[in-house]
Amino acid sequence: MELTVTKNATCTFCGCVCDDIELHSDGVRITHTKAACVLGTAWFKNHTVEKLFPDALIDGKPATVDEAVHFAAELLHAADMPLLYGLSNITCEATREAASLAELIGGVIDSHTSL
Amino acid sequence: MGGKVSCTLGEVKNRADLIIYWGGNPAECHPRHFTKYTIMQKGKYVPNGRKDRTMVLVDIRETPSAKAADIFLQVRPTKDFEVITLLRAMIKDQPVDEAAVAETGLSLEQLRDLVARMKACKFGVFFFGMGLSMTRGKHMNSAALLTLAAEMNAFTKFVAMPMRGHGNVTGGDVILRYTTGYPFGISLSRGYPRFNPGEFSTIDLLIRGDCDAALILGADPGATMPQPAIEHLKRIPTIVLDPKVTHTSRLARVHITTAATGISAGGTVYRMDEIPLPLRPPLKGPYPTDEEVIRRIREAVAKKADWMPGMNGVVAAA
Repeated sequence: MELTVTKNATCTFCGCVCDDIELHSDGVRITHTKAACVLGTAWFKNHTVEKLFPDALIDGKPATVDEAVHFAAELLHAADMPLLYGLSNITCEATREAASLAELIGGVIDSHTSL
Repeated sequence: MGGKVSCTLGEVKNRADLIIYWGGNPAECHPRHFTKYTIMQKGKYVPNGRKDRTMVLVDIRETPSAKAADIFLQVRPTKDFEVITLLRAMIKDQPVDEAAVAETGLSLEQLRDLVARMKACKFGVFFFGMGLSMTRGKHMNSAALLTLAAEMNAFTKFVAMPMRGHGNVTGGDVILRYTTGYPFGISLSRGYPRFNPGEFSTIDLLIRGDCDAALILGADPGATMPQPAIEHLKRIPTIVLDPKVTHTSRLARVHITTAATGISAGGTVYRMDEIPLPLRPPLKGPYPTDEEVIRRIREAVAKKADWMPGMNGVVAAA
């Protein structure tokens, strides 16, 4: 187990996006945070990289990412008015991909802002 | 956001001497806002920090944030728009109806004092939360406050900034703005972007049953949305990308587990003042990133027939 220290890490829990957090991790989980608030600490410590969930699920049954990606593409392509929703907890790079996908499938794209 | 008079949090830290939080509870929802960006910091033009600044809190109840405030103004629920409209009249020395003031739960003296402080400050800022933007009047409340901030610039420097909730909700707006021209609620069903909240906003689409598939990206509407919206998500094929198997995943046809943003996935996120910041993920995980999975879905769709001839620069054969 290797202890690593990440300085000036960025917290994505709330809109403050504090970028002065120090994170200590053992390669699997974050064991210690410095400068983070109570919400940020909970957010960082709540995540591990243990494989707790299946790669993908199709109709509730475990599947590979490849199968899930192709089935998702089929469903979105077949739809007349697909909706893309979320965007608040993903990166800007992922949002760009989503905008491009929305154009390709002629869908609606929307975020938490509309709530 | 078109026409919004705003600034960065760095400017607030270095300049703001009047800080007004409206319909938000930063002490509990944005715990480091006070200490990192606003009242507690010593800034270039506010060298004594807290002593040089006045904090006002406007809310319908006394939240823990009220303890940090110099002045707490308790507005009667659903009367925010009326208070803002009265302030807009009073800054221009127009007469206001005392009965209208009484209805807001505030007194004329309180409003006069606030107006005097707003006009006397060197740099004023409104931070408005969901208590303003998600209650009766919704976006009209936000628009009224943004207009008040703009109008205050006839007297002094004044800005307004929304207190954004989720980590990258600002980034979503910014990216959609520069790719489509609009921040959210955008339909591309005619091949070009159209913006119409109420028609193309998620809850309305779902409740009316307008959409016939859904791709949910890092959100859990199955746990947070009104029941009729959830029922529609169950009826249509729903696809979820999330680091965890969520409530929505359980009613979806497809779930794909992705790396958690900022934990094991890198990239860029926007702070509430629209400053992009890089992520420094401390861990390496077993799952692909959202970016990678969305790209693969897009590439898989791109191999299929165009839904509209000539889409994405692909010209249909004659």
